[in-house]
Amino acid sequence: MYGYQGKVLDVNLTTGRIETLPLDEKTCRDFVGGSGIAARLFFARAGKRVGALDPLGPGNPLIFMTGPLVGTPVPSTGRMTASARSPLTGIWGESSVGGFFGAELKFAGYDGIILEGQAPRPVYLEIADDQVRLVPAEDWWGKDAYETIDGLAGRFPGVEGDGTDREAVDGSAAGEPSAAAKRKPQIIAIGPAGENLVPYAAIVHNKGHVLGRTGMGAVMGGKRLKAIVVRGAGKVPVADEAAVKNLRHRLLEKMKNSILIEALHAFGTNSSMDLGSLSGDVPFKNWQLGAWEGYERINGASFSDKVLAGTRTCYGCPVACKREVEVKDGPFRMEKGPGPEYETVGTFGAMCLNDDVEAISKLNELCNRYGMDTISAGSTISFAIECFEDGLIKPEQTGGLTLRWGDPELLVELVHLIGKGEGFGKKLALGSRRLAAEIGPKAEEKLTTVKGLEAPMHDPRAGHGMGLAYATSIRGACHVSSLTMGVEQGAAMYPGLNLIETYAGMASAGKAEMVVKTQNLGMVISGAVIVCQLAGMVYDDADLVAALTAVTGLPWTLEELMECGDRIWNLKRLIGNLSGAGRQDDMLPMRLLTPTAEGGAAGSVPDMDLMLAEFYALREIGPDGRPSRSRLERLGLKEA
Amino acid sequence: MAVFQSDVEVYDYIGEFISSVKDDPAIGPKIRQAGIIIRFVYREPQSQITIDARNPAPEGHFYTVYYGDSAVEPDLVMSMSADTAHSFWLGKVNLMAALTRGQIVAKGPVATALKLLPVIQPTYAMYPKFLKEHGREELVKFG
Repeated sequence: MYGYQGKVLDVNLTTGRIETLPLDEKTCRDFVGGSGIAARLFFARAGKRVGALDPLGPGNPLIFMTGPLVGTPVPSTGRMTASARSPLTGIWGESSVGGFFGAELKFAGYDGIILEGQAPRPVYLEIADDQVRLVPAEDWWGKDAYETIDGLAGRFPGVEGDGTDREAVDGSAAGEPSAAAKRKPQIIAIGPAGENLVPYAAIVHNKGHVLGRTGMGAVMGGKRLKAIVVRGAGKVPVADEAAVKNLRHRLLEKMKNSILIEALHAFGTNSSMDLGSLSGDVPFKNWQLGAWEGYERINGASFSDKVLAGTRTCYGCPVACKREVEVKDGPFRMEKGPGPEYETVGTFGAMCLNDDVEAISKLNELCNRYGMDTISAGSTISFAIECFEDGLIKPEQTGGLTLRWGDPELLVELVHLIGKGEGFGKKLALGSRRLAAEIGPKAEEKLTTVKGLEAPMHDPRAGHGMGLAYATSIRGACHVSSLTMGVEQGAAMYPGLNLIETYAGMASAGKAEMVVKTQNLGMVISGAVIVCQLAGMVYDDADLVAALTAVTGLPWTLEELMECGDRIWNLKRLIGNLSGAGRQDDMLPMRLLTPTAEGGAAGSVPDMDLMLAEFYALREIGPDGRPSRSRLERLGLKEA
Repeated sequence: MAVFQSDVEVYDYIGEFISSVKDDPAIGPKIRQAGIIIRFVYREPQSQITIDARNPAPEGHFYTVYYGDSAVEPDLVMSMSADTAHSFWLGKVNLMAALTRGQIVAKGPVATALKLLPVIQPTYAMYPKFLKEHGREELVKFG
């Protein structure tokens, strides 16, 4: 098979058994890759007992998957997904990451990794082509993600050029050194938050790339797997090298001429702060405000002026949207390192009314070091501040801390407490939904979660289609698993699906059809193929079909891909159903349905009843929230 | 039917509106701070307005506005129809969509353009008032 390596590494951490699982063409054709194939593998392993799986227990399969374009010259496609039952939401969890790990894993000869069981003692998994082993990691347990990544990378001095072999590195005698021994290792690791099973713990790759959402770091921690180190010397076979080359050239030209890409290059993902603040897309003060004058102090330009120290990129991507920042002195001093993405600026800036870019940079570094999702962490803190302000959380519960808006030192202290599992941090580590359940109904009114996942920093009051996309998203409130946001805001167009019009954001009628299409396409593009949703804004549907056809040699059509997207969405939906989710969970929290008095979306709320009725009809979702049997059968999911 | 029937109308309303902000104490200094020359190239009707915030401005103003051809070399050129320009100043353009679809074409440092977004945002509320004060309130509904 072109584009695939045709095998998945299958590791049982309890027994130490390491095998490879063949990946057949039908699975690739039906589920494409990424979280699509992961859902298929997960369902095959967990079956209908998914509802009984302890997300942090040995039986919860944690599946890393790449896609068919990963590791090829097709630009901005070097991503990887992690999937499992989420400890935060209790339903299907998944997260994706850029960087270089996915490509390196394919170079090592694997499309993905399935991890089951629980190691008796902390370990890390080391992959060098076909040499794969579990290595004791007690020395690394307790260290933060940066220390772990730097430390593990330091165990491979041969990458500097002398070709140090494996024996010299780890003292074992595992056979002939692999050709991969000369390659720089690509590493993913968890920090203390993952070890402490914080339900929104993240997995950190090379420090600046993070599998943030739905607590995959805690699943990894539950398995006592500290890190995965991969080096691969192989290549990803492509069917038509000339066509891939031409396509790459064409896509790079499109990127060169795209003002959106130019903005990403100039300011990173935080380039959207200005336009988003003006249009009502950015939520402020735990979603209570639709406008805040402080946004100008945390926009892309402010970061560039005050802390920017460089840029970084991901495998095969010319955009280089990743920021490097440095704070040279003061209370938030940090050495040059990865900078915050827009979502982090949103949660620790806009949501907490904190306009200090140095503090936001430091908070980002701390979350990365502890290994936790900045969206859930920042949103939970913002929620707690509001609860404190309203007297629902008392000073005696916070250890005497006064929770207030716009206090950067407080935010740093709270993140430390969460990361270390100390004091009030233990409560914040629950995530906002569980914390609200402990506090009571008054606190639940302040929640910003869908299915237990804190909403990202895009306000559905400004884009009603996003409201439906959030409510019906498989993993909970999510702005990337569908392509709704790009289409509704006007940044992306898919002519083959007739998604070309300029949508009125603050309108609900007719949005369901757009959401269904963009969900199905998103399942393929963002979840399965896997194209970066940012740089991928220049991809239209024809580009996607051309890329897949050129790489795999299979005659893909848009109709087939949309059917794959539909199949993936329905299988994930069913896994959610089996985990206990139903129609009652397809809801926006009251806070997101309360109009703001100010800002670009003042007075606007999505009409959820209207959109959901249309959505369920289009999706053939029954009253129990499950896809209809006939729909599942048509999609080849009869066994589900 | 186009909002403006001639280049003179474009200058009388969009041009004069932009000029009216050049001594605004809240907005003018921020545009001046950007220190660049922006040219708006309009079509239907063909017209051109240039904001020069780089070279010294006449006393009391924060920048200079030129109508039609001008010798100053722009840093940033924004091209669009005059109708789109009218909607833009009314705050009714989905900028993301307009840029993606080529309804607005920007050539030059995008970073600078983004920096100016918050600066010009308050003017969206000022433009309808300007039209009303100049007897063209009916144009507001064409945004």
